[in-house]
Amino acid sequence: MSPQRLIGRKTEAGTGLGPDALRALQPDHVNMDHLHGKVALITGASKGLGRAIALAFAREGAALALCARGEPALQAVASECRLLGVEVLAVPADVADPADRERLVSLTLARFARVDVLVNNASTVGPTPLPLLVDTDPQAFEDVVRVNLTAPFLLTRSVVGAMLLRGSGIVINVSSDAAVNGYPGWGGYSASKAGLDGLTRVWAAELAGSGVTVVSVDPGDMDTEMHRAALPDDDPAALAQPEHVAPAFVRLAAVGASAARLEASELLEEVPR
Amino acid sequence: MIAVETEFPLLPPALRASRPAERRGIRRDQVKLLVIDRKAEAVHHSRFDRLGDLLSPGDLLVVNTSRVMPAGVRAVRASGQAIQLRPCVRRAGSWDALSVQPGPPFENVALAQGETLRIGETVVTVVARRPDIPLLWRLRLEPVDDLELILRYGEPIRYSYVPEPLPLDSYQTVYASRPGSAEAPSAGRPFSWELLAALRSRGVGLAEVVLHTGLSSFQDDAFDAQHHLFEEWFEVSPETARAVNSAERVVAVGTTVVRALESAATWEGRIMPAQDWTQLRIGPERPPRAIDMLITGLHEPQASHFDLLRAFVPGPLLRRAYAEAVERDYLWHEFGDSALII
Repeated sequence: MSPQRLIGRKTEAGTGLGPDALRALQPDHVNMDHLHGKVALITGASKGLGRAIALAFAREGAALALCARGEPALQAVASECRLLGVEVLAVPADVADPADRERLVSLTLARFARVDVLVNNASTVGPTPLPLLVDTDPQAFEDVVRVNLTAPFLLTRSVVGAMLLRGSGIVINVSSDAAVNGYPGWGGYSASKAGLDGLTRVWAAELAGSGVTVVSVDPGDMDTEMHRAALPDDDPAALAQPEHVAPAFVRLAAVGASAARLEASELLEEVPR
Repeated sequence: MIAVETEFPLLPPALRASRPAERRGIRRDQVKLLVIDRKAEAVHHSRFDRLGDLLSPGDLLVVNTSRVMPAGVRAVRASGQAIQLRPCVRRAGSWDALSVQPGPPFENVALAQGETLRIGETVVTVVARRPDIPLLWRLRLEPVDDLELILRYGEPIRYSYVPEPLPLDSYQTVYASRPGSAEAPSAGRPFSWELLAALRSRGVGLAEVVLHTGLSSFQDDAFDAQHHLFEEWFEVSPETARAVNSAERVVAVGTTVVRALESAATWEGRIMPAQDWTQLRIGPERPPRAIDMLITGLHEPQASHFDLLRAFVPGPLLRRAYAEAVERDYLWHEFGDSALII
């Protein structure tokens, strides 16, 4: 990870972050525990972008609560993060399941007593190959909405009260360009991500001035398992690697956001392919 | 034992709230508010979302942020009999728990000293009855994260006036944080964030304590009437102690907050930061030293809760308020209406 990538061109051009915030992320300050003392809860943390964010946060000193459905992969990521010297709680859980969500939130708050950063990253495109909407199974559509939209709402609702009481915290929802474009085959995913963007805007408006920030971030196309399953013909070499996008999330967690929707590329100097 | 039963008529069963306000077609902050004005010796009737009319800039609301656990835990005896364990006091490796039937009417189930139970795959050994509260069983747990056990095998504790199981979320306050309560610290349940934000903008402060609640009933009316006292874990942070000590008026949201703050209070009523178990009993003989006002749910006069209210309100005024609340169909218990003592 190049330290320079923490400096975003567009941000410097004036997204509203002050000079102190920018100075805090200058190259000679990188890897100086920007997230030390913070507790981050990351869903979908066992692979892809979630894993990359977990590792990036760990490098910056954040204590982590990680969740994913697959326990072996989740525990492997948790072990990697612990090697970076941070405390990690790994909770195998399906964010679409109410009991699992309560377990995730309760175990996290029991361990750390607070959540400073919530990253709603867990996501599904539904069955692949991607069907047209007219061919989409209704249950599959509902399952996608439950994971991509309902779960982020309910998880946010579960932790935002404690954030409001302290007057600080950030919720980062992982969105997609499918939220604003109509790609054939991406119906449930597109609708759920558009919904997530809408939800984010309302959260942000309602919580303005409270010290709690809610933002959605389009990470851009990345070389992930989900992308390969959805678009098997894409050339992986043309896609960004998740670890090159993760610093955008570090930046948000460290200094906050000034808009309700951002693209990761706005927060990064350059995303190598 | 407090002889309040003779002073108050029994509560009509229809006034026991069986479901949350949101499921009765109103918002959580739109429940009725019974205002007991001690100075004027008067009783008024308002609504919870108009609380701001009764508070002033400089007042400090102190809330209990303890999160409710699904503390009715499925367990199986060696005989195969299913029971529900309700941990009242949790310590490392041991519980003092009630043992009841797994469904209504949740009557007590006697265990045998030395017998083993299972919660999932976890083995639990019955050590003995707790000497001072014999309906509680002292249980030894295998080394295990007992919160994980509770979350996996538990359901919210409910009483006979709640006929259907409700999701755990129904019991939480909007600011619920660290889990540890067996039952809801329900006085804070009517608060919405919209109301809290409005109060803050009017200069009312907000501070938190933690008090993990135990059980409000041992499922035995005669036994409950003896008002057995057990220890509860509480935490008062330095920030909260400072805020309380510098507040114009301190408004405790719930009797759990009273217990926590008063457990951290000096003789002069100054709050010191503290983290400890408390066995403090607040009542007419030990009135509050640091609290000026109280927001509380409405609970039956037979409950120990009422003993605490008598530390705040003289008996005749409390009786009058109770009678008016019954006459005006106030709803009782954790999903019911609310009262403010000023």
